[in-house]
Amino acid sequence: MVTILGKEVPNQLSELTVQQFEDITTIHANQELDAIEKHIDVFTLLGVPEADWDDVSIEEFKECVKQFNSLSGKPDLQPSFEHMNYTYTAFEDTFKLSVRDTKHIDKVMHSRHKGYISEMLAILFKRTDLTKTEHYTDAHIKLKAKIIRELKADIAVPYLVEVGQKLAKQIPKDVPSEVVE
Amino acid sequence: MYLPKSWSEIDVLQFKEIRELYSIQEVFTREIEILSALADIPSDDLEDLDISEVSEMLAKITFINSEPSKNYKHTIGEYHYKPLNTLTVGEFIDLEHYFSKDYNQHVGHIASIIYRKVMTNEWGETVYEPYEFKPSIRYSVFDEVCINDVYGILPEYLAYRESFMTTYANLFTDEDGSDEDEDEVPVTSDEAKAVALKKSEKKWGWERLIYSLCNEDLTKFNEVTNLSLIMTFNMLGMKKELNV
Repeated sequence: MVTILGKEVPNQLSELTVQQFEDITTIHANQELDAIEKHIDVFTLLGVPEADWDDVSIEEFKECVKQFNSLSGKPDLQPSFEHMNYTYTAFEDTFKLSVRDTKHIDKVMHSRHKGYISEMLAILFKRTDLTKTEHYTDAHIKLKAKIIRELKADIAVPYLVEVGQKLAKQIPKDVPSEVVE
Repeated sequence: MYLPKSWSEIDVLQFKEIRELYSIQEVFTREIEILSALADIPSDDLEDLDISEVSEMLAKITFINSEPSKNYKHTIGEYHYKPLNTLTVGEFIDLEHYFSKDYNQHVGHIASIIYRKVMTNEWGETVYEPYEFKPSIRYSVFDEVCINDVYGILPEYLAYRESFMTTYANLFTDEDGSDEDEDEVPVTSDEAKAVALKKSEKKWGWERLIYSLCNEDLTKFNEVTNLSLIMTFNMLGMKKELNV
């Protein structure tokens, strides 16, 4: 936590929820906002009202942003989590990204809709008592994504990094060529 | 699992199947579907693999991101390449039809118009079979032909078409000189009627042309469609320029 204008603001991945992390990602992806507006919207989201910045100098504002961006530690990939007596597992020994999971993630990433991060995690984490078919049904993915949004962001970020790296390495970038008319 | 190494191992039917998969928006999914089509195995069989394993396979089929050879063959079995400058009006209209759709999906239809049976007449000249067959029936003859043997006719036709359209540009523009492809947004109801009429004229463009060339005598339809394309458009150009 950092104190911004007298308010306790979560800034560490272990303090932010996946939902908050997704909202912050959405704000930063909004190209209609400039850098200052983005930071103000993030602070508003986390409990610092926009009006509180009215009398704050730009130097003070920069310092607040610096404090907020100061992250400690690098979370590891968590193989599983528990929720309501169910176990959701992404891997046992070593994390592998299967073709099936990648196809589903590809679909989610392509749509870039709000909440795609939790849906991506919902594809990776599978409830141990369910079958392969049930893992990927739309309704079940949505339900898991809802559960994941309440978890802390330190479960999500390592997967985002890992999956991003694997996809960047494995997915061909060449686009199909066409006869040009 | 055997994977082809280049387009030289792909036939027209497989090419069409692969090109159809290009419409899949998600890059990874598209690559997997193409991989399974080339390996001739269901994509489900690949789904339990780790992506690092399939990436090795994908690396072997990078040729799919390039075009097949443009050096087409002049003879395919009993079919011979018919030079584009000998196209008839009917052949051109049908080629335009297939090119206006997804021409990659109509390689066989296009090839069946451009490759024809031949015979030698009593003067020792090569005579091409008349265009009295339906490409929609004959196209399958080319299904098992290597795509490299016929693909080049596509860019060649497109280049020919561009040159043709430039030469006869005045026949493809309206009286006011505007391009027929121009999109107009009507403001008044009269303008809306004019746009609707223009669209209708465009829809029936070739039929109108043939009907006019037949002097409104439909029994001459085949005679007109068998006319040389270049001769016909030369005459139309002359008529327009001299206003006769």
